[in-house]
Parts: sequence; structure tokens; C-alpha cells
Amino acid sequence: MRWTRPLLFACSLGLVCTAARVVTADDIAERARKLHFSSIVLDTHDDTTQRFFSKAGFDMAQRHTDGHIDIPRMREGGMNAIFFSIWIDGRIMGPPAVQKAIDQIDAVHQMVRKDPKDLAFCRTAAEVREAHKQGKIAVLMGVEGGHMIGNDIRVLRTFGDLGVRYMTLSHFYNDEWADSSTDKPAHNGLTDFGKDIVREMNRQGIMVDISHVSDKTFYDALEVSKAPLIASHSSCRAICNHARDMSDDMIKALAAKGGVIQINYEKSFIDQAYKDAYDKASGGVVEAMNKVTKECNGDEECVINKVQALQKQMEDSGQLPPVSWERIIEHIDHVVKLVGADHVGLGSDFDGATMPTGMEDCTKLPKITEALMRKGYSDSDLRNILGGNLLRVMEANEKVSKEMQASH
Amino acid sequence: MRRAILIAGLCATAAVLVAGAMKADGISDRARKLHFSSIVVDTHDDTTQRFLDGNNFDLGPRDANGSIDIPRMKEGNLSAIFFSIWMPSKITGPDAVKRALDQIDAVREQIRKHPEALVLATTVGEVREIHREGKIAALMGVEGGHMIASDLGVLRTYAALGVRYMTLTHSGNSEWADSSTATAEHNGLSPFGKDVVREMNRLGMIVDISHVSDKTFYDVLETSKAPVFASHSSCRAICDAARNMTDQMIKDLAAKGGVIQINYHVGFLSQEFRDAEKANPQIEKDIQAEVHKRCGENEACQLIEGDNVVRDFVKAGKLPRVDYTKIIEHIDHAVKLVGADHVGLGSDFDGAMMPFGMEDASNLPKITEALLQKGYSESDVRKILGENTLRVMAEVERVSHDLSHASPR
Repeated sequence: MRWTRPLLFACSLGLVCTAARVVTADDIAERARKLHFSSIVLDTHDDTTQRFFSKAGFDMAQRHTDGHIDIPRMREGGMNAIFFSIWIDGRIMGPPAVQKAIDQIDAVHQMVRKDPKDLAFCRTAAEVREAHKQGKIAVLMGVEGGHMIGNDIRVLRTFGDLGVRYMTLSHFYNDEWADSSTDKPAHNGLTDFGKDIVREMNRQGIMVDISHVSDKTFYDALEVSKAPLIASHSSCRAICNHARDMSDDMIKALAAKGGVIQINYEKSFIDQAYKDAYDKASGGVVEAMNKVTKECNGDEECVINKVQALQKQMEDSGQLPPVSWERIIEHIDHVVKLVGADHVGLGSDFDGATMPTGMEDCTKLPKITEALMRKGYSDSDLRNILGGNLLRVMEANEKVSKEMQASH
Repeated sequence: MRRAILIAGLCATAAVLVAGAMKADGISDRARKLHFSSIVVDTHDDTTQRFLDGNNFDLGPRDANGSIDIPRMKEGNLSAIFFSIWMPSKITGPDAVKRALDQIDAVREQIRKHPEALVLATTVGEVREIHREGKIAALMGVEGGHMIASDLGVLRTYAALGVRYMTLTHSGNSEWADSSTATAEHNGLSPFGKDVVREMNRLGMIVDISHVSDKTFYDVLETSKAPVFASHSSCRAICDAARNMTDQMIKDLAAKGGVIQINYHVGFLSQEFRDAEKANPQIEKDIQAEVHKRCGENEACQLIEGDNVVRDFVKAGKLPRVDYTKIIEHIDHAVKLVGADHVGLGSDFDGAMMPFGMEDASNLPKITEALLQKGYSESDVRKILGENTLRVMAEVERVSHDLSHASPR
């Protein structure tokens, strides 16, 4: 540590630069490992919640051979903060949607209750940091789709009271007050009520998540929200032109307001060739979802499994090209080049999407840190990407919430 | 006991004789001092309905109608209030869940709006701390098991949102428990109903046996590991209503450490009132017609106006007048039966017809005055005003703590 400065100084003079740069691969691997395992590694989107309702039972404490997330694998991958997604099919609305959502919220709470040694339920950035200090995994929740509030602002507040810390304004379908990116526009973005929802989310300190929403909804939300927004699980259209991803202009506008895009690892969101082939084979993600939803008759774990099985079958038959995990790095790097390292993070979509080769589950996460370090990213930038950026946005939302509640 | 009463009686007489000690409102200095230094708990208030009836009722300003608002709670030193989450038993499934969540949110919104006066409490420790700060502790009870839609996840969600008791039924049977005012169909608690009671024990929610059938009551008593209470029921020995408790039930409840929280509803307090209603069924119809005329289908309005209309009928001589002293008779009956450790206050304000002299929460010091007049010790009065309920809450918390730590999986 002591000679970091002289070395850098020498480097800037162009004297011993070559010598300084010649570090062995093992050195970087070791440094990356150290940095990764001392950082808060936060993932904003995991569909593991659906497994809690599995008829076979699901125990987070056990290592599984299927899926992407459980405590042993999170420990192995250094993943220590997770947003469990509360999700139901976007066509279920009204009181049944509300009850299903609170059942899932309860399931997350029960999971934490069962493993108090490993898990800590967190509502604030400070609590996440405290959990990390204690060596526990911070558990948070996000509601993936505005249809779950039953068109009622009171239910939104109740979700907040139960610990939900972000809400995605829509899922694959439009809800009563926001247009989705994968449905025909019905509201020209956010309705007036949708804008009230965004304001109330600000007041409650629930982050506004613009993954899944239409471009117009995104811009409406950006204009209305007093706090920075997140895209909890979206990637870059410049690399893979999918409606679920964000254009460069959107990423710039998001960043200008302090927000963060959390890169989604889903193959059809990160790889153009894969997406093109998938669309050709299935008619697109919504059509594929429609088909399996019908087959599964409302069993959400079944839907996820079937979509994944369908994709695997198409990959095995060569209909779909292979995708490497390094695409994730490309997306992160694209955002960093566009808006700097303060506006990108990780939103895997583990247990809800098909993972690229090399990112089979959360044990592979240290590879991301190492790859970015090899690209020359600074330690501080790396920590921000791994989780610091998202915590900054959370803190900004907490501040806005406090101010709004005090001034009412 | 006899000696204590005699001495207390002498004191009361002395107090009456010293004119300066009695204020114009009939509350002695001693009663006032005792009342305003006690934690006064009311376990059942239907004010919640007023938050949602479309008229934007707010607890902040003094209201000419109803029985509960912050100024009147302060005037009567009502220090801890359980807001009731209620809807008719016929509403079930997800619709009931959604509506219950809306009511819970409405209570929490009132608390958010009045941080200087109201604080959400979920434990006895919090109730005491809030009282020390000179604020009112707001708590919640779900009045009717139909609101969990046969889903323990929903029950747990209510607990997570701060609900601290659940009445197992309302006027109709729930899917898993028989009500005292419906035809029995489960022979008390169903096996799932027993699971509900066990989960409530684990969660630290008080099991409320008001409204349930006698068989359900005994099933609960056998199943629950923690003391239970009747959040708003009175004594059948004085007024024979199915909603009230027999002497034997009160004894069995007390034997397990529970509390009966006396309901002030005139139809549960006074046999005479009940008989008069029964003798002339037309009166009931006339009352309902008048209430409907004033309120339509607005349930909050019906609850408030029901009280007003009955009062008008009493004034017109169509129904017998019931005075607040009837409340004291019920308290005294329970005390004589099982001692002063097993009775408390569960007014049913804003949800029932109040006796004369107990129109709203500002009248509560009268109860303290009346009990002192009867020769009750100050310590017993404090217990009845709130400490008994807090003791049950503390015991429920202890059982919850033990159960949570015994079997985490």
C-alpha cells in the first residue's frame, strides 16, 4: 500500500509503466477475489420466490442441483444482498392478485424467519450494510408488476409497510395505469393515476422500477418521480435490440437523474443473434409465455420451468446459438462508457430466465468482478457496480421519502 | 376484602363530604388523579369504518358525531385504542383480504398523519413507552376470521402489519369456526381453526373469543397456549345475549389467565332493553328503516346513526333508557365472580348503541369514579382500566417468543 503512490507516479512519467503493468493473471484473480468477497454484492432481481411455493418444497439452506439461488451457492458466489421478486402473471388483477402477492411476501418473510443465522430482512440501505457487517445475506423484496396493487394506492402502501422496496410499474402486459414494453399502448405511458402511484412510491420510499415498461411510461415516470429510478433487470438495446432493454438515450436520461440500470443476464436480452433466432422459433417472448401459461394453468413455477425447458430444447437442437456469460460484461461496459460507472449494477433474473454459458448460477458471480478488473476498472468502480450504486439510489429514495413525509 | 371495602367506602363518603374535592362533572380529584395516571386501554372501537366511508373522517379535529377522535380520547385519557378491522361475514376470499388491507392502511395513514398524538403499538413495551411520551397508542384487531380467507399467510401478513388480535368469527360462521349468532356447522373449531389458533400463539396475536359460539370458546381454551380474551363481550348473568359470556365461561377464561373486556352496547348490558326490543319487533324494523334513510348502504354511517336513532327512540319513550352505570354492574359482576384481574374495557364505540352518560371517550373517567365509589382499590381500578389487558398481551408475547425460538423450522 505504501508504495502505491510512487509506483503510480513513476507510471505517469512513463518510466516503469511496463513493469508495473506486468502483473500475472494470478495476481488479478487474487485481487478480484479479495475485492469481490469483501464487497456488498447485490442482485436486484431473483425469481426464486416462485420456488417457495413448489409442491416439492424448497429449502434455501440446502444446495440444489437445479435453479440458480440457494444459501450455500450465494455464499460461494459472494452474493450477499438479494431482492426476491414478488411476481404473478400480469393478467391476474384485482383482489386475487393482491392476495397472491401478499402470500409471496409472507413466504419471503417465513424464509428469513427459518434461517436467522444466514438471512437478515432489510428495509433500508443502512440495514443492508449492517447485515453485511454481520456476515449475513440481506433479503429485500421487489413487486414485479403494478397489476398486483389491485388498482388501489392503499395496497401499494401496504406492500411498502410489509417491506417491499421497489415496484416494477408493469410486467409483460399493460396494467390499469401503465403501458408495458411488450403490449400494445393503452394509456400513452402513465395515466394520471399512474403518476399518483409514482408520487406515492416516492412518499413511501419504494423505488420506482422501469424495467418492463414502455418507453413512454419510462419518460413519464422519470418526469414525475422526485427520486432516482432503477431498471431492476434490463440490458442495453445498443447491443441487443429487445423491447425489454434500454436505448442509449434512455440510459443517459436515467443516469442524468441519478438512476441505475441493473443488467439482466437473460440470453435473449443480451445477445442479438440469440434473440433473433428465439423470435423466429417462438414468435417472441409474449407468445411463448401465452402458450406455456395456458399449459400450466396458473402454476407459476411451472411457467418458468416450461419456458426454460423450451429454450433448452431449442438450444440443444441448434435452433438457438450459444451465448457466453461475457456478454454480461459487454453490457456493463457499454453503460459505463455511456454514462460512467455510477449508473450500472446487477439484476440477474436468476431463477426467472435462461442464463448464458458460464453464468449457470450465482456461484459464478466472482467472474464478473475479475473480468471487469481485467478491463482496468478501479476498485471503487467495481464496488459501486457490485452493489454500491443501488444502495446510493436506495438512500436517495429514503431521503426523498423522509422529506415528503415531514412536509405533509 | 370486606375490611378494604369498608375503608374504601369511608374514604368515598369522606370525598363526597369534602365539597372542594369534587368537580362539577362529578369526578373526584382522587378519581381524576388515578384515571389520568393510568394506562386506559379500550380493546374494541369501530372508528375504522369512518376512515373509509368516503367522507374523509380524520381523527385530528373534535367531531360532533361518533365517540372517538383525538381531542375526546385525550379528554377521557383513552391511552391505548384497538381499532377494529371489520366487514360483514358474508364477504370472504380475496375480496375480504383486500378490504381488510385497505382498513389496516387507513389506520396506519391516520397514524402517519398524526405523529404528534398517535403512535402504532405492537407490544406492551411500546404501549408503555408511548404513554410515557404522552401520546396515544394505536393498535389493531381483526374482527372476524373470515378476513384471512382460510390462508395462514394472510393471517401472518396482518400480524406483520401490526394487528394484535383476531376475533375468530363475526356474526356469521367463518370457514373454520362457529359464531354465537349463526347455526353451528363446525362443532366449534375445525382442525384448520385449531391451526389458526396455534399460529396466532406463535405470532403473538391475542385470540379473541367475542362473537364465537360457546363450543368454539371451549375449543380455543383447550388449544391456545396463551391466555385469550373477549375483546368486547359482557355478562349473560345480567343480560342474556348470545354475544355475552356465562358465569362458567368467565370462570374458565379467568382460570387460564384471560380477560373479559366489557362491551357498553345497551343491548348487551340491559336485559330490560333487550326484552323491550324483543317484545316489539316493529321497533327494530323502524330503527333500521330510519338508519337506512339516513345512511343508505354506508356502513360507517349506519354504525354511528344506529346509536343516534336508538337514543331518539329512548327519548321518545319507545325503548327503556340504559345508563352508563350498567357498565359498572357488569364489571362488578365479573370481579365478584373471578376477582379484579380478569376484567377490562371493550367499549364497541362507533359500532354500537352507547348508554346514557357514556356517549363518547371523554366520559371514561366516570368509570374510575364509579369503581372508587364502590370501594375498589386504586390498584384494582388500574388493572380494570388497562393493566389486565396489558398483562394478557405480555403473556401472549412471552408464549410467542418461546414458540418462535423452540421450533424455527
